[in-house]
Amino acid sequence: MLISLLINPRHRLYVTAACTAVMLFLAGCATMPTAPTASLEEAKSAIRSAEKEDASRYAIAELDEARQKLILADKAVVSEDMILAERLAQESIVTAQLAAARTEAKKAEAVNEEMSRGADALIEEMQRVGDQQ
Amino acid sequence: MNTITIKYARECYRVAGVIVIAVVAAFAVASCVTTPKMASGAAEARDKLTVLQSNSKLADMAPVEIREAEASVLIAEQPVGTDAALSKHRVYMADRKVEIAMANAATRYAESQRAVLSQKRDQVRLDARTREADRAKRQAAESKLATEAARVGAAAAAADAASNKAEMQRQIDLLKAEATDRGLVLTLGDVLFATGRSDLKSGGNGTLDKLVAFLNEYPDRNVAIEGHTDDVGSLEMNQTLSQQRADSVKNYLLQQGIQPRRLLASGMGETQPIADNLSASGRQQNRRVEVIIKNPPSTIPTASTK
Repeated sequence: MLISLLINPRHRLYVTAACTAVMLFLAGCATMPTAPTASLEEAKSAIRSAEKEDASRYAIAELDEARQKLILADKAVVSEDMILAERLAQESIVTAQLAAARTEAKKAEAVNEEMSRGADALIEEMQRVGDQQ
Repeated sequence: MNTITIKYARECYRVAGVIVIAVVAAFAVASCVTTPKMASGAAEARDKLTVLQSNSKLADMAPVEIREAEASVLIAEQPVGTDAALSKHRVYMADRKVEIAMANAATRYAESQRAVLSQKRDQVRLDARTREADRAKRQAAESKLATEAARVGAAAAAADAASNKAEMQRQIDLLKAEATDRGLVLTLGDVLFATGRSDLKSGGNGTLDKLVAFLNEYPDRNVAIEGHTDDVGSLEMNQTLSQQRADSVKNYLLQQGIQPRRLLASGMGETQPIADNLSASGRQQNRRVEVIIKNPPSTIPTASTK
């Protein structure tokens, strides 16, 4: 039977066809790109943590851009452009991180301003009291 | 000899030509390699990163982020051939990484300044307290000084009052006034007036001038001026004459600037003699004007008993 499969030209044709089908199937699997799930998840969590830091107040433009990039990345997944999806997800991540970083910077600056204003106010008050003397 | 020289020169030209061609080719190859190297925008990201790295205040604040940014910029700077989308992506990533590094450095720098700021604030607070304490001390000193001054002032005022009193007494003595229930009575003798005349004689004005000085010194004292005559002539005539004499004195005082409301002039006629009218000397004493300097409303009369 096995020998006849190899020897019989008709059988050989079947085997060849089957092999070709399998190979084609495998090849198809190999080129079919998988969605960048990890990057998309990371982008989501980066946006969420920026939101938690109140980025919508201090860096709304960057936060919006990160959200937009994530939406585009999801669209790219739907249209099976996984390379584009991965890039957009990465861009969404860094932009969300930037939103958080700028928010933090602005908050820190505000704290410092408040501190120095407090000192200035005190100085001014002292001078006023001094002038009244 | 000549042919050898020409041959040598030709050889030289050939070598030079080869060198020129080689150099031109090398340049051409080099330009082909360098031209497509950098993605557009990578240079800008590099510039931004360089600015951050050369900022001595910020560069040390975010070393990890700067290293990551550096790596991204290096990737962006790599040639990508014709893949414009990849090039754009890499530049975007590099730019964002640099921006993140900048923001983090700014945050940490701000945080590092807080120690200085709070130190400054503490210093200001300390100064404030010191000044407050100083002020309190100064105020205490000032109020002590004020108390002292008040005490001295009061003493001075008392001394002043005493000296005022003494001064008034001196002036009263000077006027030769007599203290009575009605006040100080100053009698202007008849030397001021001739018999039957009401105009003042010039000689007696020394006494009146003293009176003016006294009234100027004590503006709360009002004055009643009473004219008196002897019994020579009719009652009516003497009444009129005494009134005229009193008015005469009043007018003189008015001329000297004493306010009219302080002065009241009245004629008593011959009704209140202070001596008998029988002798010439008695009549002379009766011809007189009495100026009564009234006691001020609230003061105990200042009496002078000669």
